[in-house]
Amino acid sequence: MRRGDIARLIEVLREPMRVFVRESRAHIALLVNASGQVLAQHGFVGRYQVMNVAALAAAANASARVLADLTGAGRWQYLHHAGRSRQLFVAPFMTPSEELILVAIFDEHSTLGLVELFFKRFASEIRSLPEFAEALPPVNAAAFEGELEAGLDRIFAPQQSGKEI
Amino acid sequence: MSDVVSAALSRLSQVPGVRSALVVDAEAGVPVASEVGDGVSAEAVAALTASLFQRTERAAREAALGGLGMLQLETEDGYVVVAGGRPLLVVVIADRDAQLGLIRLETDRAVEALR
Repeated sequence: MRRGDIARLIEVLREPMRVFVRESRAHIALLVNASGQVLAQHGFVGRYQVMNVAALAAAANASARVLADLTGAGRWQYLHHAGRSRQLFVAPFMTPSEELILVAIFDEHSTLGLVELFFKRFASEIRSLPEFAEALPPVNAAAFEGELEAGLDRIFAPQQSGKEI
Repeated sequence: MSDVVSAALSRLSQVPGVRSALVVDAEAGVPVASEVGDGVSAEAVAALTASLFQRTERAAREAALGGLGMLQLETEDGYVVVAGGRPLLVVVIADRDAQLGLIRLETDRAVEALR
């Protein structure tokens, strides 16, 4: 992904993310790519929280994919963890340009079914965006690190509203 | 349990005017079993009706009306009836000219059978 794309991507993803959060009643949501690069977020206030969750989501996606391959289960659909007060939903989806992962955290005001339903609509909308219509050229490690930083700078630059997890 | 669920759905589906019938996990909002008509997504109906039931139940409690037994939604083309509670909800989608009394009776029976 080119560095110049990040600002535009973050802009075009803002509205679909807002709709997903409103409809699913998730209170925290994060969209990352398979490398752990943050593209959109709602509800986080801390940059390090976002970085940690993004890295863990990418790692969980990679592990789940290998596990699914090893067990012949095919492509994994989502990971759901129901805690006592909060639930975690992690789901990957493919776009023509790259694989993305949505992480959502919700409580008793939502349900797994509701989050999954609006995740599918969210994924469908993202797939139709021209910004995700073409395969991306590979990037080297230095460029990737720069883009990661640029994405976080951009996401946390406009406002610092949200809930602490 | 699965026989009970299948039998309940089968009875509901045979009521004239019933388009779809579902048994839904109330906590997760996902279908446990369903017999749905063409163009109806069991997953979407389960998620949205469970959410509606949950919120209406909350509103009823806030209004000091106690627990919610049955929720009936009237639309331009028909009815949605949701009944039960945790862990299972019974959802019925019916045509406008369906016999609503019979549907409510069979929905109650399904809820009893699933308890």
